[in-house]
Amino acid sequence: MLATDLDRTSDNMGDGSMTIQLPVAEQARLNRERADDYHRYHIDTTETEHRQKFPRRFNVKVGKFGLAKLLVKEFFKYFGHWDVVFSRPCTYGVFSGPVGGFSPRPDLCVGCLRCEVQHPEFVTVTHNPDLAALGDSYLTSKHISTIDEEAKKGSVPVRGQGYRGRFGGPGFDQMFTDMSEIVRPSRDGIHGRELIGTSVDLGSKPMRLKFTSDGGLLDAPKMMAIQVPFIYAPPPDSVSTGIIPEILAETAGIVDTLAFLPESTVTNQGLASPYVVPMIAPGQIGNIESHGNGTRMIEMTSWNLEAWNQIKEHPLLVSIQLPFAGDWMSTMIEMVDNGVSIIHFVSDHHGESDEGRFVMDLYQEAHFALVEKGCRDEVTLIGTGGIAGADHLPKSIITGMDAVGLDHPLLIAMQARLLGDTKTRGAAGVKLPATFDKEWAVQRILNLSCSWRDQLLEILGAMGVREVRRLRGEIGRAMWCGHLEAEAFGDIEGFPGGEH
Amino acid sequence: MAKKEWTKPSPKLLEKTLHLMHDGFHQRAFPDTAYDLPEALGDARWTDDLITSAWYMAETGECPDHLNYKTGRSGGGFDKLEFKELPEDQHLPEDAEIDISLELNRRGDERHKRTIDIPWYGGGMSYGSVSVNVMMSRALNAKKWNTLMSTGEGGYPPELYECSEHVITQVATGYFGVEEKSIQAAPIIEFKYAQGAKPGLGGHLLATKAGEEVAKMRGSVPFVSLFSPFPFHSTYSVEDHMKHLDWIKTVNPTAMMSVKVSTPHDVDMVAVGSYYAGAHIIHLDGGFGGTGAAPEIAKKNIAMPIELAIPKVHKFMQMEGIRDNVTLIASGGIRTADDMAKAIALGADGCVLGTSDLVAMGCTRCSNCEGGPSGRGCPWGLTTTDIELQEWVQQAWGADRLDKYYTALANRLKQILRQLGLSNIGELRGRTDLLRYMAGGEA
Repeated sequence: MLATDLDRTSDNMGDGSMTIQLPVAEQARLNRERADDYHRYHIDTTETEHRQKFPRRFNVKVGKFGLAKLLVKEFFKYFGHWDVVFSRPCTYGVFSGPVGGFSPRPDLCVGCLRCEVQHPEFVTVTHNPDLAALGDSYLTSKHISTIDEEAKKGSVPVRGQGYRGRFGGPGFDQMFTDMSEIVRPSRDGIHGRELIGTSVDLGSKPMRLKFTSDGGLLDAPKMMAIQVPFIYAPPPDSVSTGIIPEILAETAGIVDTLAFLPESTVTNQGLASPYVVPMIAPGQIGNIESHGNGTRMIEMTSWNLEAWNQIKEHPLLVSIQLPFAGDWMSTMIEMVDNGVSIIHFVSDHHGESDEGRFVMDLYQEAHFALVEKGCRDEVTLIGTGGIAGADHLPKSIITGMDAVGLDHPLLIAMQARLLGDTKTRGAAGVKLPATFDKEWAVQRILNLSCSWRDQLLEILGAMGVREVRRLRGEIGRAMWCGHLEAEAFGDIEGFPGGEH
Repeated sequence: MAKKEWTKPSPKLLEKTLHLMHDGFHQRAFPDTAYDLPEALGDARWTDDLITSAWYMAETGECPDHLNYKTGRSGGGFDKLEFKELPEDQHLPEDAEIDISLELNRRGDERHKRTIDIPWYGGGMSYGSVSVNVMMSRALNAKKWNTLMSTGEGGYPPELYECSEHVITQVATGYFGVEEKSIQAAPIIEFKYAQGAKPGLGGHLLATKAGEEVAKMRGSVPFVSLFSPFPFHSTYSVEDHMKHLDWIKTVNPTAMMSVKVSTPHDVDMVAVGSYYAGAHIIHLDGGFGGTGAAPEIAKKNIAMPIELAIPKVHKFMQMEGIRDNVTLIASGGIRTADDMAKAIALGADGCVLGTSDLVAMGCTRCSNCEGGPSGRGCPWGLTTTDIELQEWVQQAWGADRLDKYYTALANRLKQILRQLGLSNIGELRGRTDLLRYMAGGEA
């Protein structure tokens, strides 16, 4: 040890606030060890192939007579120039099979259309109707193919040549998110040095800490953190037992989030863990006592004052489900007045209430009602329903949710096909791949979770917001297409509600 | 199996491929051929009609009668606007002189004065995202039309110096390829703060496209992904921004300054700040524009479409009393001459085209610019530096396509002005009274 190190102990280096008597070199070593132990939160991804064929994007038809004619013509015209004779108009290998264009490989087609433009007389590329038939009017084939790609690769989908869709639109498409042009604290964001936090707290955040006279903490806050602002909502009734709950429970543990599952499933399948939230009906709320193995939270499936009074002092966190139906606002206020700290809003799978109102409006109403009441930070709001793409996460949070629930996209990630009523919560039929194992399915959901978290980081990074908690209810970072259009086009003849 | 080493195509292969491609563009765009439009071509913003009409214009220099070359089917923005054309007897005569030139330096300072003959120029597409052949096609055409094109952020290939009076040097956050020589050669230096397709996210050239030559130009390691951070690490305020411009003004005492920004909530404030920092041109890049590679989530969701940003900035600069001292340029989703005219009627002075140039040269907007499954980039030879594929766009052919395309665009712009009874493009600026919103459907 150097003499200078012996002289410079940690309590005489700064403002004197540190009292640990360690030589500087020793303290530096400890600090280094502590730093080496630190790992930035990350979800590990691995490319995970399909277990059942996903409909290809395009069909490719080649007229065999036309092709044969071309080959014969080119054989003689370019005799000896074999690079020309054997050249193909496809850089993706659609015509590079053993018999070339006589048996094209449409699975490889990306729709560049070079073959069809060059050889209109015998090549046709068309959209695959099987792909277009996936999904419904809300969770469209476009959503499904994007989720499938995200679950396969675990990365952020990147493509060239700009936006291809509608200008604005209904639902979540009404909103553009803001970005910060010059001044922003997060600087390099996901590509750089500084952390953007995606963890959120569940429970009642204390407005102040209270201590006993000897310095002990009085009324320790009843709250917990999860590393991502999304939870896994319960699967439809038809798959609420069996392997699907096991997959969700295991993945939630790896991601450090929560899987909400029916209590009977948790009990019967032995799934209790810190990452599983048993959902208990008010009539059976006494069962709360039977949940051990590290369970941190339960959910009561509907509001019931009597049941709540039985458990409100229980050490486990309690979330209470509240469907967007009837006079949900009065119910929410009653819940808050009675000390409920986690409210889980539920809409149908198209993000609509029983009156057909969309969740982004409802989330704002809930959020601002609690802001007005002066208790917003004492309540956690979770919203489940209508999440079909990565952009829906930040948009739900901007409109007031602390966290959101993922439902059908988790099944899509496992290559499930949804059948029957896909709008009513819990009602969809689910056709899973004929053969798959748990490890594969867990990795597919991990990949999706990572991709969506990374896309959330893109949105936060563009805004210069360093943690997702600060995004909650930040309506000022939303740009509403309708408002912007009224501002831009309001003085133009024919604009609805404009000056003319 | 060893990976195939691609080589430059033999003359015979080049001849065959170019013949087939060029003939294909013709077959699809002309009504007298036997073939329908490809079923899988186009989308809501760039419809099959818009793509093939660009091919038609690039071959003939005229607008097609048989295709909708004016609007897409996006259900909003430009696609919902139309002009209130005057009755035919009030149109300006066909032989009336219509001035569509655009003065770029309105500050009245001692810097370069520059009037371009058409109210648009070519947007930044870097070497690496596109080939030298594509860059030169655009530069040669810019020279012919007395307009400009931008290097994008990827350096200044030596070939461009023959057109340097028509090449804007871009300085962006990664400073890739920025050299004193290329700054001194340029009539305009463009500071890119953000890009509409990926606002707030910086730039990204995937490893597969950052080959030997591209890396050399950018001063990087071959086949390593290149990120331009966001934002400039040295800029936290308008004052910092001003220091940037002052630095460039010192290196090149005559160049004009252009500032390219995206379209956030406070884009009006950003524009005014840029003006006071010394910018001659405020270049707004809207969210729906094209790019070599962008996260899908950014394209639709982050920042606002250009149609909504233009009036916001135009009106705010009017209120600030500085509107006539600055040139406001719009880009990011400008597809047609009609879009340009609408952008100007909403308050812009001129526009920047990027994707449209590529479509004119054969782009089908298949979105595989970033490399696609082949890892080689664009199969049409546009957004690639692959040694074989880049040969599918020959400089002379590309420049000729763009020349004819610009002819058609210019003629259509003049036709719109004539139908509105205007003889100068400047008279159209901010004339929202000449527009009509089609509430029931697309224009």
